[in-house]
Amino acid sequence: MDAQTILTLLKFAIPVVLVLAAYNLYLVFKLKNVDMFANWDRNKINGILMLLFVIFGTIASIWGTMLYDDTYILIHNPASDHGVEIDSMFYVTAVITGFVCILTNGVLFYFGYKYSGREGKKAVYYPENNKLEIAWTVVPAIVVTLLILSGMNTWWKVTGDAPADRIELELTGKQFAWDIRYPGADNKFGVVTWDSINDAGGNSYGYHFASDKNGQDDFNPQEIYLPVNKAVKVLIRSRDVLHCPTMPHFRMKIDAVPGMTTSYWFTPIITTDSMRKIRNNPKFVYELACQEICGGGHWNMRRVIHVVTQAEYDKWTKEQKPTYLAWQEANAPKEVAAAEPKTDTTQVAKPAVPAQPATPTPAPSVKGGAKVEAKKQPIAAPAKETPKAAAPAAKPAEPAKKTVAVKGGKVNP
Amino acid sequence: MSEVTTHISPDVHHDEHAHSKFVKHHEHHHESNFITKYIFCQDHKTIAKQFLFTGTFMAIIGLSLSILFRLQLAFPNTPMPFLETLLGKWAPGGILDPNFYLALVTMHGTIIVFFVLTAGLSGTFSNFLIPLQIGARDMASGFLNMLSYWAFFISSCLMLISLGIETGPASGGWVIYPPLSALPQAMPGSGLGMTLWLVAMVFFIASALLGGINYITTVLNLRTKGMSMDRLPLTIWAFFITAIIGVLSFPVLFSAALLLVFDRSFGTSFYLSDIFIGGEMLHYKGGSPILFQHLFWFLGHPEVYIIILPALGISSEVISTQSRKPIFGYKAMILSMGAIMFLSFIVWAHHMFVTGMNPFLGTIFMFFTVLIAIPSAVKAFNYIATMWNGNLQFTPAMLFAIGLVSFFISGGVTGLFLGNAAVDIPLHDTYFVTAHFHLVMGSSAAFGFFAGVYHWFPKMFGKKMSNKLGYVHFWLTFVGAYCVFLPMHFMGFAGMPRRYYVQTAFDFTQGYENLNIFITMAAIITFIAQIMFVFNLVRSAIWGEKSEPNPWNSNTLEWTTEDVLPGHGNWKGEIPEVYRWPYDYNKPGVKADFLPQHIRPEDIVFEEGYDKGHFVEHHDMEHA
Repeated sequence: MDAQTILTLLKFAIPVVLVLAAYNLYLVFKLKNVDMFANWDRNKINGILMLLFVIFGTIASIWGTMLYDDTYILIHNPASDHGVEIDSMFYVTAVITGFVCILTNGVLFYFGYKYSGREGKKAVYYPENNKLEIAWTVVPAIVVTLLILSGMNTWWKVTGDAPADRIELELTGKQFAWDIRYPGADNKFGVVTWDSINDAGGNSYGYHFASDKNGQDDFNPQEIYLPVNKAVKVLIRSRDVLHCPTMPHFRMKIDAVPGMTTSYWFTPIITTDSMRKIRNNPKFVYELACQEICGGGHWNMRRVIHVVTQAEYDKWTKEQKPTYLAWQEANAPKEVAAAEPKTDTTQVAKPAVPAQPATPTPAPSVKGGAKVEAKKQPIAAPAKETPKAAAPAAKPAEPAKKTVAVKGGKVNP
Repeated sequence: MSEVTTHISPDVHHDEHAHSKFVKHHEHHHESNFITKYIFCQDHKTIAKQFLFTGTFMAIIGLSLSILFRLQLAFPNTPMPFLETLLGKWAPGGILDPNFYLALVTMHGTIIVFFVLTAGLSGTFSNFLIPLQIGARDMASGFLNMLSYWAFFISSCLMLISLGIETGPASGGWVIYPPLSALPQAMPGSGLGMTLWLVAMVFFIASALLGGINYITTVLNLRTKGMSMDRLPLTIWAFFITAIIGVLSFPVLFSAALLLVFDRSFGTSFYLSDIFIGGEMLHYKGGSPILFQHLFWFLGHPEVYIIILPALGISSEVISTQSRKPIFGYKAMILSMGAIMFLSFIVWAHHMFVTGMNPFLGTIFMFFTVLIAIPSAVKAFNYIATMWNGNLQFTPAMLFAIGLVSFFISGGVTGLFLGNAAVDIPLHDTYFVTAHFHLVMGSSAAFGFFAGVYHWFPKMFGKKMSNKLGYVHFWLTFVGAYCVFLPMHFMGFAGMPRRYYVQTAFDFTQGYENLNIFITMAAIITFIAQIMFVFNLVRSAIWGEKSEPNPWNSNTLEWTTEDVLPGHGNWKGEIPEVYRWPYDYNKPGVKADFLPQHIRPEDIVFEEGYDKGHFVEHHDMEHA
């Protein structure tokens, strides 16, 4: 029996329930003398219902859990070393809590059935039993202590320092996309700051290309590539509001916080190709999502992650073009502009020259750059991120144009 | 049978304290004009009813919002023309706007957490039961109590007004994390909507503090003769502990909100730093969004105990009374509530394991968080032990109390996953979390509210609610709530993120179309059941069958008032004196199956042939 059948059944069941409810209402208020419930023993009926509820409820819960087992990517096939640890912790907790939950709910409703009131019955006066209280304080205490200890162990492993032999990449959240950055051939990230961001000028990442050589070989691909069995440290930033880059298959997640850099590390252990075979799904890809509410397009911040062999990874990195090159192209009359950075406030407004290039000292350019961008480019997700469904595209927050000049003017270099 | 629905019975007429509600032009009390009696009233019972009706109204609004976004989740991208009629520009062509989806989620959370489960639950029952159950004529300060309600009323109005403004209500989630909530550029709801949210919350905090300080003072100072702290009903213990938590934690939310107002309006940088948004660079420098999270959750976590403890107190009273057995482990219940109170203040950062907080802090907060499982387990076991060998009377209140325990267990065990920092990493902000707190705090506390209303309705209105409607309400709601929230665990195992407008953008979020439709249908049925409850509430308050003075044969003092519907002052004569704890049900040797607190030892009617010399009061038994 699949979900579709259940659903069809449900469609019939719901009207029946509603009709019964309506009929009951009718009886209660209109025709008390033919009340079909008048002689029912409320204790007996409700006691039996409780027993039925707990039996069928337990069966339905277990059946429902198994029905969707295929989709539980968060607890099956961990794709990272940390994932293996976290999943084993999960299963230990699941076994303990599942047992406790079924047992206590079972006893609760069984008592409801067994001790349902009868005429002339006398309850047992039994106000306390300290030994029992101590027992059911100490037993849970021992269980949770074990959980805490093994949980701490896992937590320290997962949040500890990354090994020295690792690759690094950086994710920056923005409304509503992820910018990805690799450090390039020199393995060093260039300096980026939020006050050098210039979306229209080909520098949406805030590089200081002119002054900083490290940044000149950094590249910003559209998809993430990771070599298998090699630790990766992900540095995480945000340029506007909180985001949370989640890699569910790797069990990794931490918030992107404007004003600070957070990070996590893990070692991918299954390549995308192997996972396609394991999950028997030739289209399978690892995905990156946002999991901290960030605005109207929160649901659509998708990036694809490829876990590949070291050789494939090396080949891919060689093919990537540094962002610096694209920036140089976008700023063709760069020599002119860079020579006189302060005079081009009027120039940037012309369509031929989208915006001034970033300058070594970004402060003077802030005001003009910001104005131009506010008019020309309300932030929108790149074309790649078109939703798969025909859903209306996330509406970006309307830039508050009126306040641009005021707030831009407030900038204090 | 029709005569029972006649709303004025003869003895209510000539009984001057059976409130003049139904007796026009009958001046008999010092505060009998309409305004002081029903609007700016200082009688705790009237204030409780004001909280009850305002809270119920807010609950309908909050639940309606959830139905709207459940429709979106079940039928994404399907035009539903009535949505455009209802929401106008927020649903062009009948398809919900993504920003308004977030607004619905945010306002649903805010309204249910604060206005329904905090004010609606605690406000109603703390106000109603504290003076009546401890044997006081009113709250310590009736005036502050009245202000507490009216601050709540203003707050509710502002929150409802914000639903209708042009840029939409606050939409950054009920936790209003900055920078999202601080910057109007980030989303439309962070403009005027967020301002109204903050102003409304200021009034709300004022209301919570005025109420809380009053509850604490009343419980400590106004107990009747013989009502020592270890003879208080567990309801009062729960309200007392809740009030302490509220008074200590709400001011921190106020400070968090105040700093957010500064950042939003006066250009300070408490929470904001290095922001480039909407094509412009902002001047903020050096602030930390994580600071806000610490301040918010310092209230936010105790808040969930502010919500659940009164519900647990109510269920203790109801389960004991309707099992016709003493509550099992009275002292253990008080100690576990005390332990929960203490721990609730040192676990807040378990909401922040993955926010970039120092991992070492995560270890400490994990330790204390998981410890809360112990007192919670003790409470659950004690409820079950109370039912053991009882003579269970399945009134609707009893059913809801048992349902509460079931939700508390089922939702509580999943807390062990989320409190464990390592396991929390993948599960954080997925539907697993949604499922967890909707069961353990949402449904559980709502069931406490229902149990309380069904149980004390005869005392509030002098009438009985329809039991049959109560049974239909219970079973539809109980099964319905499980059908809504249990499947959300499955989506959690799949890593389904919370607050997603549509779930089709990712491969790993696919495959839940049918389940979403199932959940939405269950939610709609559950919602219809709540409408039946409101109908029952209003109908019974006006046309209900008249109640006898002590319909449940309960031991506590509220059932001892001379009038079924007591006037201001509660007891016409002397306040009764208390001789024992409130849980002597089926006490050996006593003829009736209950022994109220106010019966003098020499007045106890024993079973025939019982040797009075063997009779020992509960508190003496402990010392023996």
